[in-house]
Amino acid sequence: MLAGVLPIAASNALEKPYPGMHFEDEQLLMVIIPRTPEQMAAFYEARGFPQRAIDRVKATCFITVHIDNKGDGITWLETANWQLRSKQQALTILGSDYWDTVWESVDLPQSYRSTFFWTQLPPVVDLHPDEPVGGNIVLPGDTGSFSIEANFNTGADRRGKQIQVKFDNVTCPQDPVTP
Amino acid sequence: MKTRLSTLLLCLLVFTAGTPVAADMPLGVMPINGRDAPALQLDNIDGEPYDLASTGGHWRFVHFWASWCGPCRREMPSIERMMPMLAGSELEFVIVNTAETEDEVFSFLGIVAPELVPLMDSDGLVTQAWAPRGLPSTFLVDPKGKIQYLALGDRRWDEPAYVEFLRRLK
Repeated sequence: MLAGVLPIAASNALEKPYPGMHFEDEQLLMVIIPRTPEQMAAFYEARGFPQRAIDRVKATCFITVHIDNKGDGITWLETANWQLRSKQQALTILGSDYWDTVWESVDLPQSYRSTFFWTQLPPVVDLHPDEPVGGNIVLPGDTGSFSIEANFNTGADRRGKQIQVKFDNVTCPQDPVTP
Repeated sequence: MKTRLSTLLLCLLVFTAGTPVAADMPLGVMPINGRDAPALQLDNIDGEPYDLASTGGHWRFVHFWASWCGPCRREMPSIERMMPMLAGSELEFVIVNTAETEDEVFSFLGIVAPELVPLMDSDGLVTQAWAPRGLPSTFLVDPKGKIQYLALGDRRWDEPAYVEFLRRLK
């Protein structure tokens, strides 16, 4: 499935039971799906990415995220307001600056950089009512168990009630070892 | 394929009603600030050139998509079904594939929407310049080249609310 299509890259048709871990109330749905290195490699290999890029993908941890604004006003997706922690250490999402450097170092053609970009969760979106957003966040591959605390401001001026969503004991799954 | 280009990609449909106001808009369609549409000069999958700037005077439905994204795959057939519903209107359909190869596009559209002839944004830079909120996304460009509406991805364009909305554009 993942090799052919990114299932929730921007979907508003996510159906129950939700895959992965999820939070849902009357204002927000947030689903996270940790991916194995082979799952992500298969997706990008199917898009023709060269092996040198696949190797860099497999060295990291991909979490597919789906968020749906179920409220009747603006909800702000701003990953800068998220806190990811492994034990007592803060984790940083590997964003576009990181990947630009990586792709430059492996001389990845622009078409693949573009495809990769659109598969990532955008860092800032003012989500309108009923608007979904989806994509991957990427963390270093040796992260172990960690937590994700996602804070969402609401209202066009960001002064509405803040929504806080926390997922504990998230791990980057590894591929099964084949004998 | 050339015939299909002229009848579909550049099909001009005639409208009869006024520009919709916010209350008339179907779910997922948002008015935006009327900024100038970025440049859009691309070849279609048959290698024929297209330039949005040379097609003013009527509304344009500019849709960005890629075959790997699930919502794009769901939405595309509804676009193909919607197009003949607007026959006789003045809407031009500009379907832009983002950063895929001809083989990838052909193998997908050949099954789900064989009548569509997409423009090929092979390096993705035109899509980047338009800055959609995600894929798929649709921009509605007015006759003066201003972006007036953005449609969030995964619309069901052949549903009456969307068809009527598009029909009222003028």
